[in-house]
Amino acid sequence: MPNVRVTIDGREVSVPAGSTILDAASVAGVEIDQLCAHAALKPIGACRICLVEVEKQRVLQPACTFPVSDGMVVHTDTDRVKDARRFVLQLLFSERNHFCMYCQMSGSCELQDLAYKYQLTHWEYDRGFPKLGVDASRKYFVMDHNRCILCRRCIRACDELVGNGTLGLKNRGAQTMVIADFDVPFGESSCVACGSCLQVCPTGALGDRASAYMGNAAEITRAKSRCMACPVGCGVELIVRDNRVIRVEGDWDAEPNRGLLCELGRFVPLYDQRRRLYTPLVKNGAVYEQADWDVAAKTVAAKLKAAGDGLVTVVSGFATSEAAAALKGWPGKKVQLEGAALDGNGASLADLDEADLFVVINTDLSKSYQVAGFAIKRAVRNRGARLVLLTDGEDGMANWATAKWPAASADQVLQVAKDAQAPVILAGPDGLQVAQALAKKLARAKMFIFSRGGNALGLAAAGIGAAFDGQKASAYYVVAGEAYSVDAALLNKLKAADFVVVQTSYREPWEGIADVLLPSPTMAEKSGTMTNVEGKTAQVTAGVKTKRPSEVEVIQKVGALL
Amino acid sequence: MADKVTLCTDWLDVCSGCHMSILDIDERIVELIKHVQILSTPVTDLKHPPEEGCDVGILTGSVSNDHQEEVAKQMRERCKILISLGDCAVFGGICTMRNFFDVEQVLERGYVTTESTEPGSKVPRSCEIAKLFPQVKAVDQVVKVDLHIPGCPPPADAIWYAITELLAGRIPVLSDDKLTYE
Repeated sequence: MPNVRVTIDGREVSVPAGSTILDAASVAGVEIDQLCAHAALKPIGACRICLVEVEKQRVLQPACTFPVSDGMVVHTDTDRVKDARRFVLQLLFSERNHFCMYCQMSGSCELQDLAYKYQLTHWEYDRGFPKLGVDASRKYFVMDHNRCILCRRCIRACDELVGNGTLGLKNRGAQTMVIADFDVPFGESSCVACGSCLQVCPTGALGDRASAYMGNAAEITRAKSRCMACPVGCGVELIVRDNRVIRVEGDWDAEPNRGLLCELGRFVPLYDQRRRLYTPLVKNGAVYEQADWDVAAKTVAAKLKAAGDGLVTVVSGFATSEAAAALKGWPGKKVQLEGAALDGNGASLADLDEADLFVVINTDLSKSYQVAGFAIKRAVRNRGARLVLLTDGEDGMANWATAKWPAASADQVLQVAKDAQAPVILAGPDGLQVAQALAKKLARAKMFIFSRGGNALGLAAAGIGAAFDGQKASAYYVVAGEAYSVDAALLNKLKAADFVVVQTSYREPWEGIADVLLPSPTMAEKSGTMTNVEGKTAQVTAGVKTKRPSEVEVIQKVGALL
Repeated sequence: MADKVTLCTDWLDVCSGCHMSILDIDERIVELIKHVQILSTPVTDLKHPPEEGCDVGILTGSVSNDHQEEVAKQMRERCKILISLGDCAVFGGICTMRNFFDVEQVLERGYVTTESTEPGSKVPRSCEIAKLFPQVKAVDQVVKVDLHIPGCPPPADAIWYAITELLAGRIPVLSDDKLTYE
């Protein structure tokens, strides 16, 4: 596409034809105030805060939607523009009930920031104090319609990014309301609790419960890290106040998730009700006794030594690759807690946004690896891509699927795939064989096989790739981290073993089973690397500091005595 | 005294925090009274602005009942420059939370059904008690206001800045840390 020349506040830039004034301004390094516009969302010109003066245009134009043309001259900072923005702000504040003094988002609110910037000391128009509701039917966050400015960011995030299409509008004009599905309570809607709408809301209309009143923008720090709950390996921002994670947000700059997270990554870690383990506990008869690190390490090492090659080390996908590397040289077998490390064909998850046919095998992407599921939903919803589910059971993706066939009918897919330009096969452990067989017949397909453990491929690279095979061992050393859904069969095996050590963040589900419990940092407290389903290695960064030894230090402490 | 600027303040539907914030100008009050004669405030002996008027009036709090409306109107009539101070005066503030309910519901909740209320309590209905308006209003919804200083409470620095600007004959322009809604 040819470029056009645009002058913004005296700075001439060359941008592709079809760019908006807002795009061109960012190239020119000119900041234009915005509320409904968001870098990750398509512009709709809902709020009119970004109004600018375009020469030869009779009226002010919204920068976020107005396309540039060659020779266009734009002014973003004239008195006319500022007056218009002040007027728009006055209208926004007069429409509903905006009271910063008791709003949890005060200090982190884009609407408030603009009101300060434009020095609004009061609202010029009469307020109707409309009686609007608060919908607190969702577990993790609350919708307060009183603070909604109808920018539709939440609706667009749910539609364009997550592809879920839960949110919408009802009525028109001043009666317009954000609703879920056919106007049901949010908690009873098709919402998947990914929190993407919460993250893009510019006001206090959507408020996080866990971090309410816990710290505003000036009081928090952000640490970029990775979610290790599944092998998608989403980039997260840990929102920290006083050395405590109060909230988790998706990192807009991170691949493969580009700002999105699922319930598991955003909310679940903050609601973990299990008891943290802070000091080593050694079982004496039926009770655990606190032990200092040296005593605990000695006790553990003596027993492990005695077990020799009868030792099985079980490592969770929550462990960093560095922890796996530190286990090098330990006797006995080493296996993964959640299951075997599985690998696709080296495709990038960014390819999901180019794919026109998705084949998902025996894996419900609405429950596991959800952020990959979001990519499929948005492709189906917004690009007309097709989704074929090969599954014998229920599947939460069924509403997005073109077809849902039994896994045995994989060959039918070949027929469908004939006219597909960019087919993609996705499967978890339960779809492995079918996926591999299909990939052989459909060689151009990109394939993702998701392991159960988050850092499965990172552990595999350090030589720990196999699944626990059920063989009896005389001693187990489990590097569990914060693993929560642990296979009952494995727990039973551990119960039968002579000696079990678990390095874990929480007492549950290990208490009673382990002979020694060694504390472990959580995701938010550890540093290292993980390798995701694409085979890409990313940095895990501690958002909070702890004086307790790291995962690696504990392994080294014990290992030194072996 | 004759050449001093005269000041009256009063509070309407408030927690009184805004007056505390006025006092938070601390030792600067010594400097203030060199230039300003304080005639009436809720925390001094004289409660009402004098009939002959004053230069500057400050109102804190929202207008929630007919009594407060009278107070606001009297202040407006008797002062040249009226400042509405604090979120309740400027926006209606936290008092507007009751705008979601009918007056009768509010009275029932306040006097009868509150957990700490003794059983059998009744809503006081004496004609001497001010009548609640159906909706809480900001001061500028009742009388003309010349200067708004929002904040819950407004920072003492913002109050001091506004007063000293007025004394210097300028219109105060609040910005940065002097402009807050919380």
